[in-house]
Amino acid sequence: MNEDLIIGIDLGTTNSLVGVVDSGFPLILADEEGERLTPSVVTYLKDGSTVTGREALRLKKLEPERTISSVKRFIGRPFDQISTEEKADSDYKIQPASIGIEIPLSEAETTSPIKVSAEILRRLKTVAETALGHGVSRAVVTVPAYFSNSQREATKSAAESAGLTVERVLNEPTAAALAYGLDKLDEQQTVAVYDLGGGTFDLSILQMKKGLFEVISTAGDTQLGGDDLDLVIANEIKRRLKLNELTAGESSRIRTAAREAKESLSSSDNHLIRLPFFRGNESFETEISKSEVEALMLPVIGRTRSICQRAFTEAQHKGVDSIDHLILVGGSTRIPLVRRSLEEWFEIVPNLSQHPDEAVALGAAIQAGILCGRVREVLLVDVTPLSLGIETFGGLMNVIIPRNSTIPARAGEMFTNAVANQKNFAIRVLQGEREMARDNWLLGEIEIPFEPGPKGSARVGVQFKIDQDGILEVLSRNTKTGEDHVLEIKSSAVDVDDHRVERMVSESIDHAFDDMNERIWTEARIKSEELLPAVESALELIGSKLSENELTKIHEASALVKGILASDLKDAAALKQANHTLDEATQNLAALLVEAAFK
Amino acid sequence: MTNFFAILGLPESLLLDHSEIEDAWRTATKKAHPDQKKSDSESLIAADLNRARSVLSSPAERLAHWLEIKACEHESNRSIEPELMDLFATVHTALQKADSVISRNQNSTTALAKALLTKESVEAQLGIQQKMARIQRFKESIISIFPEIDEAARSGNFESAKRNLSQLKFLTKWEQQCQARLLSLLEC
Repeated sequence: MNEDLIIGIDLGTTNSLVGVVDSGFPLILADEEGERLTPSVVTYLKDGSTVTGREALRLKKLEPERTISSVKRFIGRPFDQISTEEKADSDYKIQPASIGIEIPLSEAETTSPIKVSAEILRRLKTVAETALGHGVSRAVVTVPAYFSNSQREATKSAAESAGLTVERVLNEPTAAALAYGLDKLDEQQTVAVYDLGGGTFDLSILQMKKGLFEVISTAGDTQLGGDDLDLVIANEIKRRLKLNELTAGESSRIRTAAREAKESLSSSDNHLIRLPFFRGNESFETEISKSEVEALMLPVIGRTRSICQRAFTEAQHKGVDSIDHLILVGGSTRIPLVRRSLEEWFEIVPNLSQHPDEAVALGAAIQAGILCGRVREVLLVDVTPLSLGIETFGGLMNVIIPRNSTIPARAGEMFTNAVANQKNFAIRVLQGEREMARDNWLLGEIEIPFEPGPKGSARVGVQFKIDQDGILEVLSRNTKTGEDHVLEIKSSAVDVDDHRVERMVSESIDHAFDDMNERIWTEARIKSEELLPAVESALELIGSKLSENELTKIHEASALVKGILASDLKDAAALKQANHTLDEATQNLAALLVEAAFK
Repeated sequence: MTNFFAILGLPESLLLDHSEIEDAWRTATKKAHPDQKKSDSESLIAADLNRARSVLSSPAERLAHWLEIKACEHESNRSIEPELMDLFATVHTALQKADSVISRNQNSTTALAKALLTKESVEAQLGIQQKMARIQRFKESIISIFPEIDEAARSGNFESAKRNLSQLKFLTKWEQQCQARLLSLLEC
């Protein structure tokens, strides 16, 4: 065992890596087969053992229901914040649990995002120990910059159950910037890191000066990545092959075929999707072109644009013009459409000097090196991605530490008793940017104890601290004794009591059995009623720019929607499908409108 | 009370420029950052340095902190000077326009309906940006008389400091409101 050594881990949605600094240089460690990427996939075998990484990926075909991937999308999130679409799009089922969510494997067995992550981390620990020839127990683990407090805590607890002490929770784009800047310590640069991974997107803007790496602003979306691109392609495959009612195994095969198509079309113009013996002896084939796939992916990639603008707007004095380099990392930045879109939007040629899959892990290794003294003259200063606040009377959010504040950060608030002999006061701690408290993440509740006395006599100072891991701590100070003590954050969102879990479970079952058709019909009807007039106004404004063919498609699609709406059958599935067709038929129309608005 | 000038090793002056504050923060942070020496008290020092930089970099917060240090009670003065009233009216109109676009966008569920709003959204963004430029000019005009405020304070006269602080606070608040709307509009 080497007590001093710290390893750096990139725990990704799709793949994970582990690295270390050796003789001043960061390097990625390979496993016994010489591979550096460990797929973030775990299979739970029926005998109770687990298999992690490449072998689990191979087992996915045989054990689709017991092979779990992309758990990073769900880690540290309470069940009720996960949308219906996300649940539907997932390869596996999720259900509420006393802590966060659970993934059922069979009638009797369950696992959780934290447990799956712990398996992956345990595997990476073994990879490192085998490569180094001694035990390791300390690690820097990366997370998306836009991860909330609970997502960071959950990641940390996964590492701890894998036998690793977490020395730092490091933001992924910041890590990538370290990898980029390590050999440029004498230069002064402002860089933006565009990190589009398997399931998350971040954009961070950093200033590098004399060995100090300072994050100025960051923005992101923890539910946006390569998985979403696979999904739009998979939906297209299903549409073309007219496949409904898929089993878990079939769904996962289509998802794999979609990913292969996406990857292959990064370097070629056409791709043949083949699904041999898909159902019994039935095989399917369809050819898809690069431009068709790009048209499907554009709306997803377009979502990163406004996030980038947000980060640029927030970086004071550092608009897009002052960026020296836009560095691309994350597997999804291999897609040519991503690079082209960025050039077009921001008139800046992306810097491709970093290895899209390895930069984050190298950065984690460097930060680990800084913390254990193997790298000197480098210091990293990050910011908190989300504003921290408390709920005030009237359900508003009162910001205490604004987003993009340099961390560590602390701020105090004074609380007094509102009535005589009030015992305590409960405050709800929130994270997010919305004005109404209920629209933000609820981190939990804290209880401020008061000493008995007349109204206004008890005064307690409460300190909110965000540490270098981006994790919150709340301290109360007794103004008389000057003593600090840590207030427990009772996380009502993450640790739900059993009663509430029961209710949530029964609600989710109710949803499955109540009159689905009626609900879907109403939702679809509302959408149609919005879409039809929108199509008319849009056509009036800009319809002349469309081809005859496109116009026909739109007219046919809207006639279909109108027909179903007028019919007495109330066929919810048909209306939903017709809306979807109209939505797709008008995609180009929407794009033209947006373009015209910017002229 | 923590003296933010002192912990960054800066003179208690209103007349600090951006790079002066940044350099002082950088030097102090390199020395105190917990990555260099690991202990809890170091982490608190680093947090205070960050807070100090943030306060001193904002003209309104710097002026308020400076007044506090000068042991000068300043009850918040709620009056708006006439020349600010005019600005307030136009800022308010721009904010309302933005809010209308934002709420209609949030109520739209289809891409096409959102796309139809883009033109209005771009106009609202431009409107907000123009107001932000006016606010910025106003702020700069106040910052430009910081030397006079500093001079008056030497002879014990804090009237101008207080008056200008209250104007700066209004301007900063409107600036934040504009910034928040701008960010929401970007998501439209």
